[in-house]
Amino acid sequence: MGTTASHLPKDLLSEYQELTFLTKQEILLAHKRFTELLTKDEKDHQNTRVPMDRILTLPELKSNPFRKRICHVFSTSEHKDGSLTFEDFLDLLSAFSDSATLEIKSHYAFRIFDFDDDGTLDGGDLEKLVNCLTGETDDTRLTPEEMRQLISNILEESDIDKDGTVNLSEFQHVISRSPDFVSSFKIVL
Amino acid sequence: MQISNIGFWESWRQSQSITRKRVWVQMGGALSSLLPWQHILHAIEGKFGVGVKAYFVFLRYLVYLNLLNCTLTSGFILGPTAFYGRSISSGESAIMRDSKHLFGGNDSVLDFFLGTGYLERSPVFIGFYTRGSLDLPCLNTPLLYLAGILTMILLSLIMVVRRTIVGYKHTWMLGKRYSANMSYKIFCGWDFTIQDPASATLKHSFIRNDLKLFLEEQNFSMREAQRTLGQRVRLYLLRVILNLIVVSLLGGAFCLIYFATITSQSMIGWNWLVRLVLQYLPPMSITFVNLILPHIFRKISSFEDYSFTTQVNATLVRSIFLKLASLGMYLFFVLTTTKRHQCMENRFGREMYKLCIFNFLATFCNAFLLNYPRKLVQEKFPTSFLAWVLGKQRFLIPFNVLDLVYSQTVSWVGVYYCPLLPLIGTVTLIATFYIQKFVVMRCCVAEQRMFRASSSSVLFHFMLLLGLLMAAVTLGYSFHLQNIEPDINMSSCGPFQNGKTVFNVTKVCVESLPSPAPATLYYLSSEAFALPLILAEIIILTSYVSRGRANQKAIERLKDMLVMSSSDKRFLVKQHATMLRCRSKNRTKVHSAAVVEDNWQDPPSTH
Repeated sequence: MGTTASHLPKDLLSEYQELTFLTKQEILLAHKRFTELLTKDEKDHQNTRVPMDRILTLPELKSNPFRKRICHVFSTSEHKDGSLTFEDFLDLLSAFSDSATLEIKSHYAFRIFDFDDDGTLDGGDLEKLVNCLTGETDDTRLTPEEMRQLISNILEESDIDKDGTVNLSEFQHVISRSPDFVSSFKIVL
Repeated sequence: MQISNIGFWESWRQSQSITRKRVWVQMGGALSSLLPWQHILHAIEGKFGVGVKAYFVFLRYLVYLNLLNCTLTSGFILGPTAFYGRSISSGESAIMRDSKHLFGGNDSVLDFFLGTGYLERSPVFIGFYTRGSLDLPCLNTPLLYLAGILTMILLSLIMVVRRTIVGYKHTWMLGKRYSANMSYKIFCGWDFTIQDPASATLKHSFIRNDLKLFLEEQNFSMREAQRTLGQRVRLYLLRVILNLIVVSLLGGAFCLIYFATITSQSMIGWNWLVRLVLQYLPPMSITFVNLILPHIFRKISSFEDYSFTTQVNATLVRSIFLKLASLGMYLFFVLTTTKRHQCMENRFGREMYKLCIFNFLATFCNAFLLNYPRKLVQEKFPTSFLAWVLGKQRFLIPFNVLDLVYSQTVSWVGVYYCPLLPLIGTVTLIATFYIQKFVVMRCCVAEQRMFRASSSSVLFHFMLLLGLLMAAVTLGYSFHLQNIEPDINMSSCGPFQNGKTVFNVTKVCVESLPSPAPATLYYLSSEAFALPLILAEIIILTSYVSRGRANQKAIERLKDMLVMSSSDKRFLVKQHATMLRCRSKNRTKVHSAAVVEDNWQDPPSTH
């Protein structure tokens, strides 16, 4: 969308402004950054998908341990390859923007942490999540024993209905008690 | 449930107070980022956990303290001496005459380390500060000198007590029932605004350290709860025995120092070499004991099956006992055995100066002659036998804190005799900061086990308080000596020379005051005042203790209420989750929707 020209059409811009939490300047900046990721012949096509590995070169995502998950969650691609169109990209920035509400942010956080996309956080998801947090290499990971203890702790605390998984409302319950989640769940170009 | 109405005024006031608090927090954050070394501290915390950071924060605090003391010194002591000159009195001693030409013929670099030669004639020691031309009864350089030292000790006392109490209150409030919220740490742990790869790695290790610390504590408390009666009895027996060993080791060490002191005094009839060795016997035995015993204490505490934090603290308490007590013995030895010397105060100041300098040199050598080569050996020949013997280095917090407390105590004890010690202390502490940072970052590996800093930093400050107390006692004792035996202990140099003691000078000042003041002051310093004072203190203390008890009860009740309300909330969330699940089922089975909805007589309000 709008990738043929270096600037966005006016009506499209105002539409984006309506649909996202972003301001006009932020959308224009996002557009500029997005077109920088395109190759020359891609610029001529409309609605181009930028593959995930090119998206991940953005410095805002490069050091994020959840970068691949973020792309997968916001991608509308049918191949589930994590590639993003400009609108997907705007969606991403909108969810991570300053003015997005706690509800939206916690919803997307839940989807990012739900590694197998089954709608709940089970033991496997939590293990992957903890590994992302502590670092993926062998010497930074927790030992299996520690991991088991940690996951049972988390489930004991958050899994209120005791079904062995953390669902969205349980997740949001935890998030609602943290004062600085909104300020840390943020990516600004 | 009744909802009390909040008026417009009240709500406006509350929102205002919230905004004000937020602004204060933000300003505090901005200011704290301006503090020196904030960045280094952050990096250290990320790599080595909060425990090692607590050491560095303590070190920085000592630098502030010494800087404050420096300003006091220059205001009360250096300033007046510089403005009003020195020594108009007739009885100039030999040292004073020498000071006209500061650098004599036979001075060497060694003098810098020993505090002799030109240093003895410089403003470093008390002998330099003679009575100047400012000679009013209540405003003269000796009085200012005394006032400066007393203010310094008093201010340090206030600062350290305040800091200890703040820390203590903090740990006390957190209490035993404090439990970290794991899921919060996991779900809200990552800061998505991080862009720099280095800070991302730092954040990873932050989170890892935090998790490990928590799991460790939880494991320990679980193990503690699972102990059987027999195991418990055996453990307590073991602890009693180990404590007996510690006490006997301490007793043995004190005996050793005592006998060394006695032996060193009876040095008649030997040749010079033996005499030299004998003379240095007490310092040598003190150093030896302080070098060996803390390591033994550390080994002992690892058998006691305490949590890691308690282990560190136990080692710390035992070692500080040893260190301060041996310093006390040494001071006593120096104070009582110094023969009538030309300038006894200078001599005492010199001992303190030497201790200070040697302590710093020890830190320096330890870093660059021991730790760094050890690390180099491991890097160059990682497979060699030597590297295996040396093992990986860890930053031993107890010993390093011990050094800091010790040097600060020496600085306080010596400040009366060597007024520039705070300045020297500031410089050496800043250098120590960089040396230790180098050692930590370059040579040490992170501990596998983390420990919590909050209770330890209270302990650090408490030990500092002990050191300060010791300094005050030493100063009081030396004044006392002057008072009871003026003819033996009379000083021949410094502000209080020629028959003027601290008591004389203040007496002259008090008597020159207008009429009611001297009588009041005499009454305040007499025994008649002590009784009402003690009574008043008892009353105040009682009221505070009862208030404290009441507060504790209130806190307990509030904690119970918190537990209650959180269980309420859990109930509501559970309802909500069940509701959600029913809804999603309803979407597929439209028929059953009405039945399910009817079953919910009490739909949760959170939806």
